[in-house]
Amino acid sequence: MMNNSIAMQTRRKARLRPQAIPAKVAVWTVMILFAIFSVIPMLWLVLAPSKTQRQLQQEFPLSFGSFQGYVDSWNNLMVFQDGRIVDWIINSIWYSAVQVSVASIVALLAGYALAATRIPLRRTLLITTLVAMIVPQVAFVLPLFVEITALGLYNTAWAIILPGTFFPFGVFLSYIYFTTTIPSELYDAAKIDGAGDWATFFRVAMPLSWGLVGMLAFFSFQVNWINFFLPYVVVTSGEVLTLPVGLGILFSSTPALSPQVGANVLPIRAPEIALAGMMIAIPILVVFVASARVLVRGVLAGSVKS
Amino acid sequence: MRLKAKTAARINGILMFLPYFVLLVMFAVIPIIMAFNVSIGPSRLSPGGGVGNYLFVLNDFRFLSALANVGLFLAIYLPAMLIVVAGLSLLLDTISSKYTVPLRLAYLVPAGITGSVAILVWYFMLEPSYSPFAPLLAEFGLTEGTDIFNTSNLIYIFALMAFFTGAGNWIVIQYGSLQSIPDEVLEAARVDGANAFQLAFQIKLPMIRKYLIYMLILVFAAGLQIFVEPFLISSSVYPGLAKDWSLNQLSYTLAFTGSNLGAATALSMMLMLVMVGLALIVIYRTDFFDEAVVKTEKERA
Amino acid sequence: MKIRYLSGLALASSLVLSACAGGGTADDSGSTGSTDAASAEGANSLLIYVDPVREPACLAFQEKMAGEAEVTCEVVGQEEILTKVQLSNQTGEGWPDVTFNPSNNVGIYQDPLNGYALNLDDYVDPAIIEGYEGSGDWCLIDGSYWCLKNDLAQTVLWYDTVIFEELGLTVPTTMDEFSATALKLEGTGYVAGAIGDQGFYAGYLWPSGCPISQVVDTDTVRINPDAVECTRVFELVQPLVDAGVLDTRGSFDAGFIEDVARQQNVAMTIGPSWWGEFVIRPEDSWGIEAGRMTAAEMPTWTGESTAWSGEWGGGVWVGNANHPNPQLVADAVVFLATDPDMREDKVTFPGYGPAFKKWRQRLIEDPFYAADPTEAMVIQAPKIRQTERPARFDLRGQLGVLGTEIQGSSDVEAATRTFMDGAAELARGVGYTVVN
Repeated sequence: MMNNSIAMQTRRKARLRPQAIPAKVAVWTVMILFAIFSVIPMLWLVLAPSKTQRQLQQEFPLSFGSFQGYVDSWNNLMVFQDGRIVDWIINSIWYSAVQVSVASIVALLAGYALAATRIPLRRTLLITTLVAMIVPQVAFVLPLFVEITALGLYNTAWAIILPGTFFPFGVFLSYIYFTTTIPSELYDAAKIDGAGDWATFFRVAMPLSWGLVGMLAFFSFQVNWINFFLPYVVVTSGEVLTLPVGLGILFSSTPALSPQVGANVLPIRAPEIALAGMMIAIPILVVFVASARVLVRGVLAGSVKS
Repeated sequence: MRLKAKTAARINGILMFLPYFVLLVMFAVIPIIMAFNVSIGPSRLSPGGGVGNYLFVLNDFRFLSALANVGLFLAIYLPAMLIVVAGLSLLLDTISSKYTVPLRLAYLVPAGITGSVAILVWYFMLEPSYSPFAPLLAEFGLTEGTDIFNTSNLIYIFALMAFFTGAGNWIVIQYGSLQSIPDEVLEAARVDGANAFQLAFQIKLPMIRKYLIYMLILVFAAGLQIFVEPFLISSSVYPGLAKDWSLNQLSYTLAFTGSNLGAATALSMMLMLVMVGLALIVIYRTDFFDEAVVKTEKERA
Repeated sequence: MKIRYLSGLALASSLVLSACAGGGTADDSGSTGSTDAASAEGANSLLIYVDPVREPACLAFQEKMAGEAEVTCEVVGQEEILTKVQLSNQTGEGWPDVTFNPSNNVGIYQDPLNGYALNLDDYVDPAIIEGYEGSGDWCLIDGSYWCLKNDLAQTVLWYDTVIFEELGLTVPTTMDEFSATALKLEGTGYVAGAIGDQGFYAGYLWPSGCPISQVVDTDTVRINPDAVECTRVFELVQPLVDAGVLDTRGSFDAGFIEDVARQQNVAMTIGPSWWGEFVIRPEDSWGIEAGRMTAAEMPTWTGESTAWSGEWGGGVWVGNANHPNPQLVADAVVFLATDPDMREDKVTFPGYGPAFKKWRQRLIEDPFYAADPTEAMVIQAPKIRQTERPARFDLRGQLGVLGTEIQGSSDVEAATRTFMDGAAELARGVGYTVVN
């Protein structure tokens, strides 16, 4: 009956007395219910393209149709503007690749500069970064539209790619990482060896920062892959657009969700549009799950006064 | 000799920071300046410029309702996030970590369903003829699409969507923050006879308070800017349902159907001001980021 | 010192850029001065925005012009065409050269401050205009033609002959008769239509003459929910809604289609001419059985001498005034709007006379309809009430609000007032004076 946590020495196992078992059941029930609620919509999304429109409405929502269903859904999707979906997929992939690479490298360097070099005005620059971090990119969309058209980049891939490389949160993460994770002794040792800043960066900081690079890539990818508002406003040609905006086009230009549009002309219904949605959601899901451990270890630890 | 090394260090620092600085100027500072110029410039109903566009926005017949919509949305969404995220992460923390793995993975799953995909999925989750939750909806007397998708329910629908996407991964993140609480503190409390509740509410919660507040700030900032979900639902399934429902939608409508870029940028500036103000309050008036900023004062040898 | 230099550079570049932008983007007047960029590549190329139904027409045009001009067909949602054109006005580039639009958009494009619409008077053969026999006059604004009508969407009274025979009903010729007939459906499970969408505006408010976008002149528009032409609609329709014989859902609502339409329970409905082929017939839509439906003339409102129609749809083709080769643009507009060989199997009532004759023949011979529906359509074609005219504000966007309000409240008057108050605000927002 006694609480024998001292004897057990295990990290925070809450020892519950026998009469607290109902509490334990309640706890588990809540957690499992929330887990089910979390998973069902994604499960629906993944299973929907395997069925036909009729099946979706009439059969059990989480049933599996057939593998041929996926093929049919894909072929129907391809009918829209002669395979426009392929353009969207390719664009999403390469825009994100460029954005993630550039954003990560730039943030890595900038964070290191703030953390470990004698750059002037460090405090001001950091505070600017903090402010930029809290204001989401969506707030900048109209101002960016004004600027991008002035620069003559309207309706080009760069109108989407370039703003996505601005990554203040990445700079902040990087700064925190370099000030907390790398002991100052290592910097000192490098300095004593006569290494300049660049050498210190490459020989000391970089080899230790693969975890950081992973985190930067993760956050940058997550934000850029699903971005809708900015691409929607600064690009108007279907072939330059990305999957999330393409999905929006499918919303308003196909009968899947807008039955008053071309119902007897386009074979695009719920299963097809679910397939398009799947192609957006699955990469994020994969990246999230792969990075779960990193997230748990404490993205925020060390950054915020605890 | 020493002076030269210091200058070299400054230059190297500047060079390393420069790419980010260029992006900062190009994609944050300059757009704001340009948009500000447009917002105080002339427009059809305000040929004199100045504050005319701002007044136009504030007097627009859709402004107050958009503000109310976003306000009520946040009033439901933020507390829900706080309670559920704090609650579930604390619950997770009461069981041994190996059992939490499948649960945490499950909680991460919704993170992919955001933006345009969120509208897609949630339309099908709430439309009774498609939904796996149809029996549950029927219990509440909701048997038709129009029972659910009507103007009075919009706040709840969008709050639900935003909550669904965000709660799971914040739960995992806050669980991670809970792991950083030192064991000694917890042991000491247990020795003092604290039960699970007291442990959670009097020890753990205060220690992750800052992380939770940080979450609320980010969530508030993003929520204030809601656009995609109401926009897409009005352009397809239920035309006009959430037309100009949010402030950003109003800004977009003013710019691109009302031909009034001046008013649109004025609204954008006002939202920006609120957010920058909030950020500055957090930075200067709370001790939230103090540790991070203090580090910039330390000189590197 | 380096910092001061850098920040000075940043400040200078920002001032330069903002000076460039501040000039042309304050309003939508960016259409001048950009033709140099366009003409270099654009004199022989056309970008055409269509909806999925019109995409085959565009592709046919593309094929026809192979070798002469480069035609690109892009499918764009009807809700978005306006914003895309406005975006181009802001940026001074990237205009679509021919667009298929909801009918009210021409009022916005024709606005000199917008400047998108090409004045067709100089580029289109007058015989084409005459071929419309007057039904193309929606596009006649301030004495010139700014678009060509793709089709006419005049409302007619669709009714189910089988149900009428079963219940011993006669086809109503006045709105009072319509109301009486509809009330006879109470309790039978049959309905007289669904009004939770644009159909209420096109089928009831507009034919009655309720002033919603009644453009008086360039600066004045009449919007008045208290006019007798509006109140009589409320008085007639609300009892029908209360009795359950008018459904408050939209005609495309999944629930309505499943519970009512597919059950063959629509006894009659006021709907546009394209409903036969697009809504009533297709399996995916109402799926009404063959040999049941036909169309009759619109019922007349008390005190009116004409059985007016409204319009739901009736898209227009508009050309880009900024293109370096306006004749090419005009030719494209003419082809897409009138080419007879393409009209035969289309779902909509062709606006252009010769194309229409082919289309009509097909429908007359079609066994799907219980009787020839085209006779009523022909009669109604010149009777689209002229009180509603293209306006400079986005009426179509506002129509979504009407449908939503009806669905939500089932109070027809309140819904219409909300809709019209919004329209009045939008009108003022573009500089109209709103009168009663």
